[in-house]
Amino acid sequence: MALRNLSTVMRGPLGLQQAGLLAPASACAAQTVGAPHLSKGGPSTQVRNASQLETQQKMKSVGNIMKITKAMKMVAAARMKGAQRKVEACRGMVDPSIKLFGDNPLVEGKSVTVPITSDKGLCGGVNSQVNRVVKALQDVRADGAEAPRLCIVGDKGRSVLTRGMPESVDFVADQATKQAVTFATASAIAEEILKTDSAASRIVFNKFKSAIAFQPTVATVPSPETIESKPELVEKFDEYELEGPDRSEFLTDLQEFNLASTIYWGMLENGCSEQASRVQAMENSSKNAEEMLSALTIKYNKTRQAGITTELIEIISGAVALEG
Amino acid sequence: MSSGAASAYWRVAGMSYLKYSNLCADMVRAALKEPAKSAALKRETIFFRGTKWAEGKPGETVLTDFTEHIGSK
Repeated sequence: MALRNLSTVMRGPLGLQQAGLLAPASACAAQTVGAPHLSKGGPSTQVRNASQLETQQKMKSVGNIMKITKAMKMVAAARMKGAQRKVEACRGMVDPSIKLFGDNPLVEGKSVTVPITSDKGLCGGVNSQVNRVVKALQDVRADGAEAPRLCIVGDKGRSVLTRGMPESVDFVADQATKQAVTFATASAIAEEILKTDSAASRIVFNKFKSAIAFQPTVATVPSPETIESKPELVEKFDEYELEGPDRSEFLTDLQEFNLASTIYWGMLENGCSEQASRVQAMENSSKNAEEMLSALTIKYNKTRQAGITTELIEIISGAVALEG
Repeated sequence: MSSGAASAYWRVAGMSYLKYSNLCADMVRAALKEPAKSAALKRETIFFRGTKWAEGKPGETVLTDFTEHIGSK
């Protein structure tokens, strides 16, 4: 007898409820009207609905974030390919002078550090790598020696380094990556750096190795006076026959070109590393969003199932009580 | 910077090597024919925002923008 009644009750409000994802209000209303002594279940059902709604909203926003990060990853991957082609072409510009003079990181006297950073964020640890190297370069120097001056390229280096060591900063250039970086832009920035009149310029950037690896690199461009003060470098230079001006003027020209091309190279390398790092960062965040979404889905389904079970019990016990 | 009788004429006129060589490059680009010309002109653009800092304080910000003038050429 009791069993038959139960099945009729079940077909009633519960059938309605199963139609929708969220328990419809009509089911709750029917319940309260039909069984006034069960009105305690009313508020608890509402609370459950509210929490489910919250979970649903969270799921929606996490899903949207995942879409955005996936799109950003695709864009960065496409940009990285173009940037990589440019970097490989540009390496030929700086290789000859590196072959000629080698790398001379040890330079006495006043020097200027040129950190090259990105203008935009959301690209992993690219900029913090450069900033860390710059901070180390500022600290490592002989006793009593002057701290290197700073000429910062890029917005992310500016925000960190001008806060950390404002008195060392001479010049800041940013927004250069808004357009495709050109040699002309690098030359204009190089001219500003030349105004500091230093014995050496150290350009700090991330060298692009592969899509998953980049390396913070320091390229040193010595001034003509520095080269002339080192006999072994002068000897190397004198192996070449020169036409036109004398050696010191030639070295001045060469240093200007070297500085501009190294900055150009650094900007391209760093831009490429930035995109590569962004691909990785966005992949990680897409993965995290996906994990979060599946956790939320499980939570949502569990609450829904629990709600259905609770209601079933309420209905059954209500029916039994009426029978009683 | 070295100067004197032996210096190149453009240095005497107060130009740096970079200014001189970029100007020469601009001249070469201007001598190109289409469609190579418009592709090359894109490489002539200069765009950055520069701020001079002195004694820990930023000075005036100057936007160097040589993109409009290329586009209108």
